[in-house]
Amino acid sequence: MITQTLAIFLDAYRELNSKKLFWITLALSGLVVLIYAAIGIDAKGVSFLWFRLPFIPTTSEEIPPELLYKSIFMRLGLGLWLTWIATILALISTAGIIPDMIAGGSIEMLLSRPISRPRLLLTKYASGLLFVTLQVGVFTAACFLVIGVRGRAWEPGLFLAVPLVVCFFSYLFCFCALVGVLTRSTIASLLLTLLFWFVLFILNAADATLLMFQSRAELQRDAYVERLESARDAAGKIIAARREQAGEPVPEGFVPSDEEMRGVMPWIGMVFDNRDDAEESLAKLRPWVRAVYLGKTFLPKTGETIALLERSLMSAADLERMAETDDEEQTAVDEDTGEAAISDSELSVRLEQELRDRPVWWVLGTSLAFEAVILALAVGSFSRKDL
Amino acid sequence: MTTDAALATTAAGDEWVIDLAHVAKTYRGKIHALKGISMRVRRGEVFGLLGPNGAGKSTLVKILMTVIRPSRCDGTMLGHPVGSRPVLRRVGYLPEHHRFPPYLTGAQVLDFYAAMTEVNRADRRRRTPELLELVGMRDWAKTKVSRYSKGMRQRVGIAQALMNDPDIVLLDEPTDGVDPVGRRDIRAIVQELRSRGKTVFLNSHLLSELEMVCDRVAILVGGQVASQGAIAELTAGQERYEIELALPPDGGTTLGGTAVPAVLEQIGTALQPGPRAASAPDSSLAARRWHGTLATGESLEVDHATLRVGTTDPAAIQHIVDALRARGLVIRSIRPHRPSLEDLFMQAVEKPNGGPGKEGGA
Repeated sequence: MITQTLAIFLDAYRELNSKKLFWITLALSGLVVLIYAAIGIDAKGVSFLWFRLPFIPTTSEEIPPELLYKSIFMRLGLGLWLTWIATILALISTAGIIPDMIAGGSIEMLLSRPISRPRLLLTKYASGLLFVTLQVGVFTAACFLVIGVRGRAWEPGLFLAVPLVVCFFSYLFCFCALVGVLTRSTIASLLLTLLFWFVLFILNAADATLLMFQSRAELQRDAYVERLESARDAAGKIIAARREQAGEPVPEGFVPSDEEMRGVMPWIGMVFDNRDDAEESLAKLRPWVRAVYLGKTFLPKTGETIALLERSLMSAADLERMAETDDEEQTAVDEDTGEAAISDSELSVRLEQELRDRPVWWVLGTSLAFEAVILALAVGSFSRKDL
Repeated sequence: MTTDAALATTAAGDEWVIDLAHVAKTYRGKIHALKGISMRVRRGEVFGLLGPNGAGKSTLVKILMTVIRPSRCDGTMLGHPVGSRPVLRRVGYLPEHHRFPPYLTGAQVLDFYAAMTEVNRADRRRRTPELLELVGMRDWAKTKVSRYSKGMRQRVGIAQALMNDPDIVLLDEPTDGVDPVGRRDIRAIVQELRSRGKTVFLNSHLLSELEMVCDRVAILVGGQVASQGAIAELTAGQERYEIELALPPDGGTTLGGTAVPAVLEQIGTALQPGPRAASAPDSSLAARRWHGTLATGESLEVDHATLRVGTTDPAAIQHIVDALRARGLVIRSIRPHRPSLEDLFMQAVEKPNGGPGKEGGA
């Protein structure tokens, strides 16, 4: 059994080795790492190679180098390179693995061996993940060195990127394998997998948009409530002072009613109205947020899986710190208009917190359950097929 | 007892390494590729499976190798039910139209497929150069198979089928695309395998190839066994003498100036005319075939200028020769004739409704 498994993996390695795209992707990864290493930050600002970048007004006092490199790795290295560009290249390289295996002339050579069909398919599937494992492994190791040398922080947690990106890729590759078994076509496998990925992307975008609206409405509501509370204190003092002046008794712990507040603060009516609007928006948004969340429960969570690394590498405090550098404004209610101006940094921290509140078991567990179902369908079809 | 040991023990005493009964395969409930094949292959023999395109030969081999699932199969291979995967460790297989990964070298192909058959690393290392030498590919061991000719791929294919030192080797069209020298080499390999006690199951269109090496054959027609047995057994009763006459330059309408019936009447047979050839002049020799029975019981057929007498006894044709010579006919040759595998094949294929047909003994 071990002999066969090793043989399939060695064969997968030889196949990758023979593909130009594998080496092109690896070379591009190297280039990305070099660019990454060329970025510097010190007390004077940000630099690239020997050149200062005056249009980025950040210094090492505001953002420590460690945090900058981690952030760049998360946003660009992981978020852009590994989970978009390198993934597309990996899909192009691996989409043919299953269709090639079950092509006439090849499959007879494999099925005539003492190996069961499910094990053959699953081992071949696992060998397809080798491409991503090697690519991410090399890229992460290089980034680990860059963060260590340039950021002066040795962060072994970075290597969590390897299983997480492989996991992320496997959500797509299982679908690719199923289409490969059903159609025996590399092109169909690739195109339908890209379409599936696009559907997931749209769902994630809808989820993120709805969450953003919900977070914004919550922040607005919180700001209105907070403003109303402080206004109520102020109104209470004004009313108490007026009554004392008029010789009327003021009960202990007097709290003015909404109407009494409107009497002494005419503008507060707009804040009440806006708070009610915010509550109404929240009531409308919540069923949609829940529906999308439920829908995502049955599908792989590509974005959230990758975000698990950020959860591990960057604390909530780190995120707030990064956010504060972008936007110094705080959420506040304008007394002229009664509108709450939402701080972007607070919104992004609130949104991030919402996402971080989603349990790891939900992110990984349900995604892997989806993958298991898809693989079971592929194995079932492959086992019943006459080839 | 390990699975391998159990397999070896079970199969050791069995004479039949392949014993098939009622093998049927129906695709999508309507295409009957195999209609109940029963077939037996003896240990240590070279068994040939032949048949026209679409007869079901490759389907049968694929069922044996678990590539295709039969609709019904009561057979065994090496003493175990067909479909048992462990037994495949002791079987070598070269599929028709096989395709090797183009990024592998010849040596890597052998190593990979042997590893898939669970041959241990030491044996793989030892057998790879030996077998490449055997098939004449040692100098190409480190060249990628994408650069091989079809014949070279076929040679490497045969070598990989032998990597696990199998008890049975199933070769599906092994000489396909191979030049005459290569074919001779493959025949020699098959004979060498037989001499080592291996069973070889050959599936081929090339009847002459099969005839040269096979101990027994089965002819498959329309998903059924039309006939099977040793070639000698299958041709028993079909041996004959052929007497070829030298015809006059015009083709003639008579044998030596005498009408055919008259000549043959003298040697004691009543001939019936056969079907007329469309392009031949009326009543010419070329136009008709004649057949009948001699007074002594042997069949006689006149086909153009050839007389075929259904006997293996040379004494039985002497009076025919005398009669022909008495009429002044010139005899070009007299030879005993044994039907070839091709003759058997054509008989089976042209038989109305195909098989099932003759059993020439197991």
